[in-house]
Amino acid sequence: MSDYSDKELLDLFKETEKRNYAFNLIVRKYQEKLYWHIRKIVIRHDDTDDVLQNTFIKVWKGLDRFREDSKLYTWLYRIATNESLTFLKQQKTKYLLPIADYENQLKETLESDLYFNGDEIQRNLQKAILDLPEKQRVVFNLKYFEEMKYDDMSEVLNTSVGALKASYHHAVKKIEKYFKED
Amino acid sequence: MEELKGNNKNPFSVPEGYFDSFPQKIQERIASENTEYYWFARLFQVIKPQFALGFMIVAFAVIAITTLNVVLSDKAESVIDSDLYTRIIEVDASEFSEQHFIDVLLNDEKEIEEQKQQETDYYINYLIDENIDYGTLMDEF
Repeated sequence: MSDYSDKELLDLFKETEKRNYAFNLIVRKYQEKLYWHIRKIVIRHDDTDDVLQNTFIKVWKGLDRFREDSKLYTWLYRIATNESLTFLKQQKTKYLLPIADYENQLKETLESDLYFNGDEIQRNLQKAILDLPEKQRVVFNLKYFEEMKYDDMSEVLNTSVGALKASYHHAVKKIEKYFKED
Repeated sequence: MEELKGNNKNPFSVPEGYFDSFPQKIQERIASENTEYYWFARLFQVIKPQFALGFMIVAFAVIAITTLNVVLSDKAESVIDSDLYTRIIEVDASEFSEQHFIDVLLNDEKEIEEQKQQETDYYINYLIDENIDYGTLMDEF
């Protein structure tokens, strides 16, 4: 794992002969975090792999133009989130599925997924999260699982802190309701 | 929800060695995208003069064909129009006669008369059926 700070990695990337090396270090540093973030949105491992690859390709292409007025890691999360949501949209339009049907398919995937190690409560939690609207799902995942600060989340989702807090509150209420009804 | 508090561990897992091989996969994909771009750029450089010439020829052909189509379609339409109008005038003029005109007018008058007669019969029948005296009716109105 890279011990370089984001600033050092960006400086390294600016040196033409070290671009590949620096990018490789960025991939190694952030691949796991981004993978888990994407996985909780798209659920299936193979889909996550595709989205993660697309995310890093976009990062490679856009890193030259990255302005350091935002943090590297929030920028990476923003790209990963957008790629994940775009992927979901494509899947729904590709198979002409209503939103609820696609979410139901993902719930079924959770039942048979070889790479799901959680217990029954965690499985039910994932199903409850799948019932949330996409953006609310992202907010809940970032706060609950990744314990991301609202300020950083605000940069990732380009939404005000107040709106994010309200969104998280609504998400928690809906999940509580799901568990009460279940 | 109580059971979820402090239970925010990641429930998913990945195939073994996935994260070890992922950076290599990304490097390969970037290399292949770069190669594709390099070949496209080189090909474009090589065929640029021919491409420009070809494009000019195609553009000229498109403009010429479009212009020709517009001119020919205008001409064709005007020929058809004048022919059609001439024929309509010829046919109508040859088939029209004064007697035909009188017959049509008389026929129209006859139809109106017949209609009036039918209406009168209807009113008379109604007065008879309802046993209404015409004189009484006239007195009331």
